[in-house]
Amino acid sequence: MTRDIHAYLAEFEDIPGTRVYTAARARKGYWLNQFAMSLMKPENRNRWKQDEEAYLADWKLSDEQRDAVLARDYNKMLELGGNIYFLAKIFSTDGLSFVQAVSSMTGMSVEEYQQMMAAGGRAPEGVRSIEGKY
Amino acid sequence: MARLTAGIATSHVPLLGVGIDQGKMEQDYFRPIYAGYDWTKEWIAKPENRPDVVILVYNDHASAFDMNLIPTFAIGCAEEFAPADEGWGPRPVPTVNNDADLAWHIAQSCILDEFDMTIINKMDVDHGLTVPLSLMFGRPEAWPCKVVPLAVNVVTYPPPTGNRCWMLGEAIARAIESYPEQLNVQIWGTGGMSHQLQGPRAGLINQEWDRRFLDELTKNPQRLRGLPHIEYLREAGSEGIEMVMWLIMRGALNARVKELHRHYHVPASNTAVGHIVLENEA
Repeated sequence: MTRDIHAYLAEFEDIPGTRVYTAARARKGYWLNQFAMSLMKPENRNRWKQDEEAYLADWKLSDEQRDAVLARDYNKMLELGGNIYFLAKIFSTDGLSFVQAVSSMTGMSVEEYQQMMAAGGRAPEGVRSIEGKY
Repeated sequence: MARLTAGIATSHVPLLGVGIDQGKMEQDYFRPIYAGYDWTKEWIAKPENRPDVVILVYNDHASAFDMNLIPTFAIGCAEEFAPADEGWGPRPVPTVNNDADLAWHIAQSCILDEFDMTIINKMDVDHGLTVPLSLMFGRPEAWPCKVVPLAVNVVTYPPPTGNRCWMLGEAIARAIESYPEQLNVQIWGTGGMSHQLQGPRAGLINQEWDRRFLDELTKNPQRLRGLPHIEYLREAGSEGIEMVMWLIMRGALNARVKELHRHYHVPASNTAVGHIVLENEA
């Protein structure tokens, strides 16, 4: 285990199709994640469902983050500092399962994704390292 | 004296709670998943195996802890903990009763042992804690044992290293040994196995890596404690990092353990389900 935090963090950028929830992302995504967290309360979920844009006006999201939330663009939300366990409150409020929401990030349809999982999931070969290509 | 008799590890996939809560256990998709827990349910129901207390190591999934508070190791010390509303209402499962005396004893002992524990009183417990209870005990009116929740941060980086988790396990074992009450105590490590819930690489499963991890819990556990985070991430997916929590369980057990039971199944939702029962050998 490396004790050098710079080397430790640099390695995370070498994983294809993955955004590790580092301190930098956590800072950027603070309000995005806190907004998502607020949907754990039934009264907040009701207000959110009635008028999403009005609900978001109470939270200090960047325009980019707000647009990504309204578009349910989960890859974009991850890029802008969202964490999947926080974002899960948004798709749960939409009535989506983890499989339905997660598949939307892969470019596959829900059915294709489910077939992949039933066949043993996505193989690690070739998606472990960008630089090492293994 | 209290005795630590066994360790159990299991995935805590939310869908497995849904399957039990909604009575879907006999459906084709679910049957092979739950069948792997039948052995354990029978074993743990026997009076000689039934724990008085389970130290349940799990991670909170943005339920009790938001971005305002990120404890690395948090031990629940209140009398009871309610199931959390994770966005679709709380699971219809019993309230979790703690052995608060033992929990406080472990907290104090670990702090003196140089582990800077966070002590939590008010806390709702999410699927990370309640799904393993359902998998082992089904749908009882009340959980048949006390539960000490031990929440580990595996969400915001860096989580604790595998080695640190192992050492915390050792400190918990010392704390249990020094507790004067006659108690049968188990420690459970939950989460994993390989899965990734985010980004274009979502759906990653690495059966070979998972099976080696299961093998080495008995055959070569010392290697596991040295695995760097990057290996979990590359090989077992971004959420595969949860498996560091299994090392708290393993570190708490003796050097020699006997594997009593194992189950591995792909998939449940996005995840490879792994489960193992280890008994302490003298």
